[in-house]
Amino acid sequence: MWIKLAGGVLVLLVSSCIGFQLAARCSGRPQHIRQIVSCLGSLKSYITYASLPLHEALSQCTHGTYGPVAEFFHHTATLLEQNGGLSPQQAINIVLGDMQGRLILKQSELEILGILGANLGIMNRQEQGNYLSMIIEELEKLESEAARLRDLNTRMYRYLGICGGLAIVILLV
Amino acid sequence: MLNIKKKEIENILEKFIFPVLPPHLVAIISAIPTAQLAYLMEIRLRINRPLLLVLGSVDIMLSSMGAIVNDLDAAYLCTREDVNKIVQLISKNSLYAFEQELKMGFLTIHGGHRVGLAGQAIVDGGEMKALKNISSLNIRMAREIKGCGDKVMPYIITKEKKVLSTLVISPPCCGKTTILRDLIRQISVGNKEFRGLQVGVVDERSEIAACKSGIPTVDLGPRTDVLDGCPKASGMLMLIRSMSPAVVATDELGRAEDVCAVSEALNAGISILATVHGRDINEVLQRPYVGDLIQHKYFDRYIILSDRPKVGTIEKIVDSKEHKILWEKE
Repeated sequence: MWIKLAGGVLVLLVSSCIGFQLAARCSGRPQHIRQIVSCLGSLKSYITYASLPLHEALSQCTHGTYGPVAEFFHHTATLLEQNGGLSPQQAINIVLGDMQGRLILKQSELEILGILGANLGIMNRQEQGNYLSMIIEELEKLESEAARLRDLNTRMYRYLGICGGLAIVILLV
Repeated sequence: MLNIKKKEIENILEKFIFPVLPPHLVAIISAIPTAQLAYLMEIRLRINRPLLLVLGSVDIMLSSMGAIVNDLDAAYLCTREDVNKIVQLISKNSLYAFEQELKMGFLTIHGGHRVGLAGQAIVDGGEMKALKNISSLNIRMAREIKGCGDKVMPYIITKEKKVLSTLVISPPCCGKTTILRDLIRQISVGNKEFRGLQVGVVDERSEIAACKSGIPTVDLGPRTDVLDGCPKASGMLMLIRSMSPAVVATDELGRAEDVCAVSEALNAGISILATVHGRDINEVLQRPYVGDLIQHKYFDRYIILSDRPKVGTIEKIVDSKEHKILWEKE
């Protein structure tokens, strides 16, 4: 009896945990996109106004941002500083590979970050500014879509986790 | 002497030049005997053309193994990737940060070494907007030679311990910037008879002071302020207003606004040390704008340099007001 009860509680805990994790990913995605947009806004200023070298601009644009997004920009900056032979696109791809799973982003956002790297540092300031504005605009569209999905799905995943767990327990008992 | 030169060039290559070259080019250049490298002045790269090293007044071609060759077919031919990679390494993936320099056709790397560029110009409204498809690079070694201005110093300091406005005239690659740098240092440091003066340097191309994050990496003396990367004309006036120097130094005068700024500085009681391209005084006289400097005798002294028999040879020191040659090479 006690074993059955403990097993039931365990199943319920695990399923709830999965539900809450999925919900967290759902609410984390728009947050990460928003942080990236904010960092790119700063990056644009550091490039167009202060004309800082790319690696410096990348490491300074994260002021006020913490967590995986800040790490993403810092790691890219460090790679570019330590290995001048790497292009920004190569550096971004390496960092995205290293941070797989930690950045809560979908393929659409990852593709935009890849495109960002392809044209960083090879234009004049004005064009670089225009290009970053275009990237920011694209990410903002994705952010509002991600926010809509978060509102729709976060609660659903939590309930699904708990209810799914309860259903399994009832079926097993 | 040769040993000092060898060490100096090894140091320059290791610290400043090799970091901006792809590894295979570093291997080719490193294979040359150091005794020959001691005379290295320029590294020239042109797409689909041989890699050339200018040693003094001669240039040499190299094979892909780093051997000196005379046959064009045996020489290492530079590729587009080589040139693009060097531009990427020099600009640190930040071409936007070198917009102004690209318009002028050069970039300056750490150590004050200038990299000249040629390619396809993008023109907008008759004005050059940018440079694309860069096809040629010329990496010029800058050297700090302390004491190369010793011979000139007595002729540019008056009995009242004032510095006379001096124009250094020479064709390209004859040591103008090197001698200017040493004169700045000596005026700033001073000596037994002459107390150092406040010197302001407008280093538009970052060649004189070779600043890194705004701090000079060469010795310019204890009384020197450097305005790095600033256009000469506005920089000279800005320094006069902000730092009240006794002497303002700048490199390669050429534009109308440079001449106006020199005139304004001289009328403000400041002495000017400057350089200009030209073989002799008459040649400079024929040039637009800078010819006015000679015609109106803005400067007190002209120092004429040449590369005969070697770079940095002082040909003449001329008193412009008296039309008198104060010193001449035998």
